[in-house]
Amino acid sequence: MAENTTSRSKRLFTTAGLIFLALGIVLYFAKAPMGLNRKIYDLPIFLIIIGVCFALKGFMSKNAPVNELETSRVSFVEFLTNNAILLAMLVLVVVICILQPRFMQIRVALDILTQSSTKLIMALGICFALLIAGTDLSAGRMVGLAAVVSASMMQTATYANRFFPDLPQVEVWIPIVAAIAACMVFGALNGFIVAKYEMHPFIATLATQVIIYGVCSLYFDMPPNNSQPIGGIRSDFAQIGQMRLFSGIYKGFPGISILIPISIVICIIIWFILNKTIFGKNVYAIGGNREAAVVAGINVFRNIMFIFILASFLYGIAGVLEAARTAGATNNYGNGYETDAIAACVVGGVSMNGGIGRVGGIIMGVLIFTVIQYGLQFINVSPMWQQVIKGVIIAVAVAIDLTKYRRK
Amino acid sequence: MRKVFILALVFIVSLSCCACADEVKIGSCIYTFNDAFMLRFRNAMADESPKLGAELTLADSKNDQTTQDAQVDEFIAAGVKALIINPVNRMDVQTMVDKARAADIPIVFINREPMPEVLASYHKAYYVGAKPEESGTQSGQLIADYFHEHPEADKNHDGKIQFVMLRGENGHQDMIARSRYSVLALKNAGYEPVEIAGAIANWEKLQAMNIMNAFIMSIGAENIEAVLANNDEMALGAVEALKANDYNKGNPEMYIPVVGVDANASALDAMNAGEMLGTVLNDADNQGIAAVRLAEAVASGRDIGTIGYEVTDGKYVWIPYQKITKGE
Repeated sequence: MAENTTSRSKRLFTTAGLIFLALGIVLYFAKAPMGLNRKIYDLPIFLIIIGVCFALKGFMSKNAPVNELETSRVSFVEFLTNNAILLAMLVLVVVICILQPRFMQIRVALDILTQSSTKLIMALGICFALLIAGTDLSAGRMVGLAAVVSASMMQTATYANRFFPDLPQVEVWIPIVAAIAACMVFGALNGFIVAKYEMHPFIATLATQVIIYGVCSLYFDMPPNNSQPIGGIRSDFAQIGQMRLFSGIYKGFPGISILIPISIVICIIIWFILNKTIFGKNVYAIGGNREAAVVAGINVFRNIMFIFILASFLYGIAGVLEAARTAGATNNYGNGYETDAIAACVVGGVSMNGGIGRVGGIIMGVLIFTVIQYGLQFINVSPMWQQVIKGVIIAVAVAIDLTKYRRK
Repeated sequence: MRKVFILALVFIVSLSCCACADEVKIGSCIYTFNDAFMLRFRNAMADESPKLGAELTLADSKNDQTTQDAQVDEFIAAGVKALIINPVNRMDVQTMVDKARAADIPIVFINREPMPEVLASYHKAYYVGAKPEESGTQSGQLIADYFHEHPEADKNHDGKIQFVMLRGENGHQDMIARSRYSVLALKNAGYEPVEIAGAIANWEKLQAMNIMNAFIMSIGAENIEAVLANNDEMALGAVEALKANDYNKGNPEMYIPVVGVDANASALDAMNAGEMLGTVLNDADNQGIAAVRLAEAVASGRDIGTIGYEVTDGKYVWIPYQKITKGE
């Protein structure tokens, strides 16, 4: 039976992949003569990429039995519900492509990945707090703090309204380290009150959130800046968020934003920490059953401290990147980012009850959110409707997730 | 937390009252201390007050009308002789006017204009600000002037101006007026404006950048002929998005004129770098000075004709905007 389904799903993926591939290649060569350039844009290339991915999945799944695709009717329905959000996203993408064919461009796909990058870094930071059945409300304000601190030291010498009028042109890494260190101080504070007083992270990080915003506003309000948006950012700093790799490989290629490789590297590191280190195992253990973890001799205090410090490190990076990307900062940067990050984690299968969650799921959750948000903006859906849709997605995703666990 | 804040406020106000018994005490609520424009405004007020022998106390209303109402109560209880209010919600100021009337002290509104009938309900209620339509008109004129000097800016040669509008916070009087009058100015200059895309970016650079980026992707930068932003921060966000797509980086073939309002330091910087076309200065300094002078004059019973600014209809002081382009 298992062998049967394996070969069937293998055949399914391979055939689908080859069909997409063939269609893509045909369209690629047909689009110019048929005058479809302005109608389907880069669709052939997308089809080819999807086709190759499917075909590869088909070939690779030789030895690994795949169970989700059993063809009996019950499991098909199960497959639909389990992947409802993903399927809804695909439907939306198709609709958007029909309404606004410009969506089918490589540069749009790259843009979506770019916008996902900082969100992904945030989500990876916050997932640790979620894994121990906590949360982190201070994440967004830490982004603001890191943005303001780094931007304040990175202004050009000639800018009229400098934050530190007498500051020399310092090395780029100094403000970055300063900004991330500032976040880590508050991360340590988070960890300390959670671990030492066994305070619920919701309350502990609520308190630090307010403190961070206050501290950041005080810093931002220092004379001579007096709460004015920080501008006149040095281009070498802005490049950290704005640089594009491989631009001009061929005509019209916009280049890959530096943010994408940065977030990929961070993903790999976090995946390694969660899956291959004792600390990672401890995080899951504490999240799964705190008492059992204590009995098993895990140093809960040290691990929780480390969780919040590591998370704040990631928020710090996200903040610096936001400041660099926009070449500016105000104390309002990052406002509300934590809710987006939590929502992306939850949609990506991280359980609010702790102990369950994978890096792959989080990446998926962030991408789903960004694609939907970006797509809705693309076809000019009112921001108010965007909010409604976002909320529905969160509720539906979690509801499906909970039914899944209950069934098991 | 609010109670503690109010107690602290009472304490500070009463302390300052003991210290300076014969000075005119003025209490001022600012809708939030996090607004760059209002910061310039309150700095101007704080600088002017000592020159008049007035004692100014500033309170941060934290963008909450209930907080602001409570702060007004505390000011009155502490015996201020005049109020200068930057309302959180300009439609919800009748309560504050009633409180000022009960205490028989002048109330000067700044930056956010109350409805005329509210001002009319009390003879010591005033408004100091700029006519929002003027900022819109001038930013529209900046674009019209540019198209006049550069006919090639009409990229598709259809005689119309396809523009993107980046709007401020929904319902804000400046957002409404700037959006409407900038378009009107283009029409009055003989052009046919077409809003090819528009969105609310809440005065913020980050939001404007993301939205502008989406527009560049969905409409195509080659189809956008101008960007009108309700303030400079949003204009700068649009500039960043354009730069990320290789526009406005010095190549005259790849240039889209962007205008904002406020004339903040970053905008002047971007204009000198050739990334932004122009901006309109909302004169915070003169508005701040006028507000304090008006409040002080009424509180000490002097003629409001002596404050050095023209008072229209006995209620309004209008401070004009100024157009600013590269090199000014």
